[in-house]
Amino acid sequence: MTKWMWFKAVSVLFLVGVIIGICVLEDRLVMKALNAVNDTCYQIELAIDQNGGIVNGQVASLVDNLEYDWFKNEAALCFVVNHKSTEQLGVEIVRLKTYIDEEEEIEFYVSLNIIKNYVETFQHFMGAGVDNIL
Amino acid sequence: MLTIVFRAIIIYLVVLFLYRLMGKRQLGEMQPFELVLTLIIADLATIPMAEVSVPVLHGIVPLLTLVVLHFILAVLCKVSEKFSQFVSGKPVIVINPKGIDYKALKDLDISVDDVFEAIRGCGYFKIEQVQYAIMETNGKMSILPKSEYAPLTVQDMKLNVEKSTIPINIINEGKIVKDNLGVATIDEQKIMEILKKANVKRVKDVLLMTVDKAGSVYLQKYHEKYQTFNIEPLGQVEE
Repeated sequence: MTKWMWFKAVSVLFLVGVIIGICVLEDRLVMKALNAVNDTCYQIELAIDQNGGIVNGQVASLVDNLEYDWFKNEAALCFVVNHKSTEQLGVEIVRLKTYIDEEEEIEFYVSLNIIKNYVETFQHFMGAGVDNIL
Repeated sequence: MLTIVFRAIIIYLVVLFLYRLMGKRQLGEMQPFELVLTLIIADLATIPMAEVSVPVLHGIVPLLTLVVLHFILAVLCKVSEKFSQFVSGKPVIVINPKGIDYKALKDLDISVDDVFEAIRGCGYFKIEQVQYAIMETNGKMSILPKSEYAPLTVQDMKLNVEKSTIPINIINEGKIVKDNLGVATIDEQKIMEILKKANVKRVKDVLLMTVDKAGSVYLQKYHEKYQTFNIEPLGQVEE
């Protein structure tokens, strides 16, 4: 094998490694971010049940945490996910805070369910199943 | 806008690297799978370049995947003749000594006009001048003319001619091409002797100077007519 052929072979192996690395990185980043959102959503629901409404310190604190975590993770997600795909989730999280201030419980639940549904859909969308590939 | 500039630079460098990795084939010499790859790469590269919401990795990952696939296909084509024929097809004789092979034309889905166009492109305007015409896998037509229509060669004339040698660039735009000195078996002292012979004082006055193994020198100064002369041969001219 000539030097050029060696270079090509090493480059292609390197590219395979890069592709695998990016796929793993994407999976980890997305799953970490979405699981964090999902967990916090269930904690919010639990807090509402325990406190009998959305206007209480625990729910407000959890929504703040949700917003902080999401915007922290979103920066990393921008490397691997289309910004437009994640835009809706950020908007709904911000709405949650407004609904607490306005004491609009129904809208709060609607937004919370949109977030949960978004997370579930995106988790399904991320997997390399036959339905996604085709 | 600055984002787009940086994205364009990144993608340009990636595509440049990938094309270098794929080899030096020109567009007309591509096999079908190489042409497909080239078209897709061009399209894929532009999406993340112009659309800021799409991560650059969404453009780069499919590019890398296609190049890896291309490499695997190229290796398989080298290993297996049958696989190569499946992917790239095989050369087909469309004109033989009996004339045009109509069945071959049908198989290739080309017309008699296409054959005429191809043989005219090779410098032959009559079918009867052609002994064989072969449609290559890259879509080009190779022509073997009948002996009486083939271009005359030195061998046909049985002449004694000087052996061909490659002129080597020694000075290019006022600078000595040091990489070529070893190939031409010449050193800077010898170059200065040649320049002195041509009444040139400085290397930087020379636009181009080439020498070949037989000792033939081409020298042109800036804004002056070129001159050619011979020096003693630089080495044995290879067959």
